[in-house]
Amino acid sequence: MTHTSAQPASGSVAVASRPSLRAVFAAAVRAEWTKLRSVRSTMWALLFTIVSTVGLGALLTSLEVSRWDNRTVTERTGFDPLLYSFAGLNLAQLSIGVLGVLVMTSEYATGGITLTFCAVPQRRLLLLSKVTTFSAVTTVVSLVSCVAAFFIGQALLVPVQAGVGIGDPGVFRAVLGGALHLVLIGAIAVALGAIMRRTAGAVAVLFGVLLVVPGLVLLLPSPWNDDVTKYLPSSAGVAMSAHVQFPNLLTPAGGLVVLCAYTAVTLLVAAWTLQRRDA
Amino acid sequence: MIEARNVSKRYAETLAVDDLSFTVAPGQVTGFLGPNGSGKSTTMRMIVGLDAPSSGWITIDGSSYRDLRFPLRSVGALLDANAVHPGRTARNHLSWLADSNAIPRSRIEDVLGKVGLTDVADRRVGGFSLGMGQRLGIAGALLGDPDVLLFDEPINGLDPEGILWVRGLLRSLAGEGRTVLVSSHLMSEMALSADHLIVIGRGRLLATGTVADFIERSAGHHVRAVSNDPTALTNILRDKGATVATDGPEGLSVTGLEARDVGILAAAGGLTLYELSTQRASLEDAFMDLTHEHADFRADQTTTGGHA
Repeated sequence: MTHTSAQPASGSVAVASRPSLRAVFAAAVRAEWTKLRSVRSTMWALLFTIVSTVGLGALLTSLEVSRWDNRTVTERTGFDPLLYSFAGLNLAQLSIGVLGVLVMTSEYATGGITLTFCAVPQRRLLLLSKVTTFSAVTTVVSLVSCVAAFFIGQALLVPVQAGVGIGDPGVFRAVLGGALHLVLIGAIAVALGAIMRRTAGAVAVLFGVLLVVPGLVLLLPSPWNDDVTKYLPSSAGVAMSAHVQFPNLLTPAGGLVVLCAYTAVTLLVAAWTLQRRDA
Repeated sequence: MIEARNVSKRYAETLAVDDLSFTVAPGQVTGFLGPNGSGKSTTMRMIVGLDAPSSGWITIDGSSYRDLRFPLRSVGALLDANAVHPGRTARNHLSWLADSNAIPRSRIEDVLGKVGLTDVADRRVGGFSLGMGQRLGIAGALLGDPDVLLFDEPINGLDPEGILWVRGLLRSLAGEGRTVLVSSHLMSEMALSADHLIVIGRGRLLATGTVADFIERSAGHHVRAVSNDPTALTNILRDKGATVATDGPEGLSVTGLEARDVGILAAAGGLTLYELSTQRASLEDAFMDLTHEHADFRADQTTTGGHA
């Protein structure tokens, strides 16, 4: 930057050359990480996500094991050994979702967003740095949750010999899929927070899409209900972590593509909105 | 150096800022003065790129704020001191701010010391008083050692000692050659802390100039003379072209002549003066005079109040 005015007499940290966008992004990510880390409630919420995912999976797997003797042969052959292990993902996607929304909306609620925009006026880049940082955190949390839920769930299935090993075909892929499901929902939630700005509104939309819309779609006449359900974010996410191919779900790869598409679209809308709107 | 040219900002029905042009020069404290709801904060938000002008442009040392990379190193702003996450400690708050612009963390201790918050640096901001919050906001503005500083109502919530401290700080920042823009609705405060004034009302520029000029130009500058024969004195003074009005039973309010001349003329006419003084208009009076013609802002303050 050129200074036509008098330079301050004090030692200045002003940079000589214009920093690259890469440097701006790296600094923004670092700042977002500092922000996330320095609010205690975030860390508690992430811990809660891990505990609830693993705990719910273990609980529902145990229930299934206790009813195993009453299951028919067909039910046993069609049994997805991962379905109950990953039952907690339905809850986890909500808590990750709320946290993702809060990444943006808590700054609007406190007014801190003005300082954030003052520090990083490149708003699309700022959004990218927030999504990147939050996704890095959720990747760790989701992997820990899914791996732990998998091993605990499968250990509980040992007595009925219905479990699978991590090395079995498609199993590792399903565990990764479960984790990625949460990460993508988290990214969608950050984008929703940026678009809506208010916590209540963004959480309502997110929960509506994940919980209410699937129920409403089921009311559509057949076969529309099943056809549409497949393409909902929640079903696409479940498809990613399924081990058995259910007829009413996409393939794992199909689920990944659909959920990535939802993520990309909401992020693009969020980027466009942030750039155009007054803070 | 901040330059604003023909800046307007329209919010739905309201024109919050109306064709505003001004320059804020380095090396002095520029006061940005106007009643609540006159568009000061909106203008400051536009300077730092938070809100986009509906028309016109603003640059800082030749660049638009949104084009600056690591802007905190060249522009420091205190806009809303309460806009801080209450769960974070003061040090953590400054840490993310430093990280965001790759400012060395060592600067955090410097600015904490400078604003006097070192002892409470590890306390959560939620428990801070209004004054401590202001100090933290000022620390954030100073963090990148910027050439340009904006302070929106910096003395809000400060105790007398804090107010003195802010005045001294503004002076020393300007003394170092920095550009300092301070908004306030308190004319008396600006008289003490600013060198130069930009006065707005209803989003429009009303006046610019030095604080001294501003008072001088105002209508209220007059001489008060109390004598044993006001009628005789009135006639003498009017002969010399002064404008005279009565001010109390024996007093006169004289404009157009200096106190010295009034004294000499009274003596020459054999009159006794009980009191002779120059009444300087305060900045407050000057401001009221200036905004009087634009007094309609009082009637519908609420329509622009949200963006005050």
